[in-house]
Amino acid sequence: MMTKHIALALVLTTLPITLRAQANATPPDFSGVYYPLNPFGRGGGVPRPVAKPGEPPPKPIQSAPLSDGSQGRAPGAPSLTPEYMAKWQMISKSRIAGSYEYDYAAKCLPPGMPGMMSMLYGMEVMQTKEKITFFSEDIDALRRVYLDGRKPSQKVLDDPTYAGYSTGHWEGDTLVVDTVSLHPQSFIEGFSPHSDAMTVHERIRFTAPDVFEDQITVNDPKALTKPWQTTKQYKRAGPGKDELREFACAEGLSENVK
Amino acid sequence: MKLTSIALSAALLSFTLAPTQIMAHHSNVAYEVTKVLTITGVVKEFKWSNPHTWIGIIVDDGKGNKVEWAMEGRAPGVLSRAGWSKASVQAGDSVTIDYSPSKDGSRTGIIARVTKADGSILANAPPGD
Repeated sequence: MMTKHIALALVLTTLPITLRAQANATPPDFSGVYYPLNPFGRGGGVPRPVAKPGEPPPKPIQSAPLSDGSQGRAPGAPSLTPEYMAKWQMISKSRIAGSYEYDYAAKCLPPGMPGMMSMLYGMEVMQTKEKITFFSEDIDALRRVYLDGRKPSQKVLDDPTYAGYSTGHWEGDTLVVDTVSLHPQSFIEGFSPHSDAMTVHERIRFTAPDVFEDQITVNDPKALTKPWQTTKQYKRAGPGKDELREFACAEGLSENVK
Repeated sequence: MKLTSIALSAALLSFTLAPTQIMAHHSNVAYEVTKVLTITGVVKEFKWSNPHTWIGIIVDDGKGNKVEWAMEGRAPGVLSRAGWSKASVQAGDSVTIDYSPSKDGSRTGIIARVTKADGSILANAPPGD
């Protein structure tokens, strides 16, 4: 009888450890197509009039998000150093005038990191034991996160790219990712500029069935007075919505140069 | 005199019907996005292309002239989720477009929604977005 109790106690105390060990052995599978959950709040940053029951949909009051800085910096925007705030103001002036000079998306350039994890667009995640690949519907941009323990070489560090170079590891069920070697010709969010010293740290985990969050921390000793943090949420698409269409940006760009 | 006036009319006509509005923009910054106006016309061309779609429409300017407007829409992938397809808008269709005008005063706009002759509405965002 006594032996039975001890055996039961042993099973109960070791059970959580066993479960944890199993979780570590098999990391969660993020594979699938996702869409942002309430990007920038409801309406994707565009205020929409509320439809009245039985009446036709009301006329829209705005066509697209305001993205020229004419209303100042958004609450929670990155805290820029004076040098980079001056750059932001210069870019804002250009955008308010309707210029594309600092509108990299208009030139079909990739959104870069961390921008491509903060999109209004869809995202496809492809996962193997050694690598997770994030594919953004926006400009068909791609980033690879190496999980096999490799580190960025000097050659990589000397050759910044829009997506940068990402390495990751599992901490329990959380994917922890560090990204370095980022090209400065992209934005942190909105059109906040950054330097070539920017690094991005992410903690990605499921918070509900088919919903993952990406806690993003941006460090940039040249452009930021303190690290900037944001959390984005993505929901996995069900049947019928799980195919992203090609985004061949050059198609329109070639029209532009005719 | 008569010939000159015919030539002048022809020149004016070709000017007003020429595709003067190059479908070249690709950004919100070109438009006054917080202002929404309405225009009605007949579709000349629908370009289901990336990065953005375009609707070219012929509009009566109220002064006896037919002028062409170029209206920029969102990407095919996003519009597909909003219920559009490549065949949603076709040349010859009468459409009413709610749009935001360009900052430079050219005959271009960014589409807020399209209402077809049968009253059906093509929104610029998926339902619930």
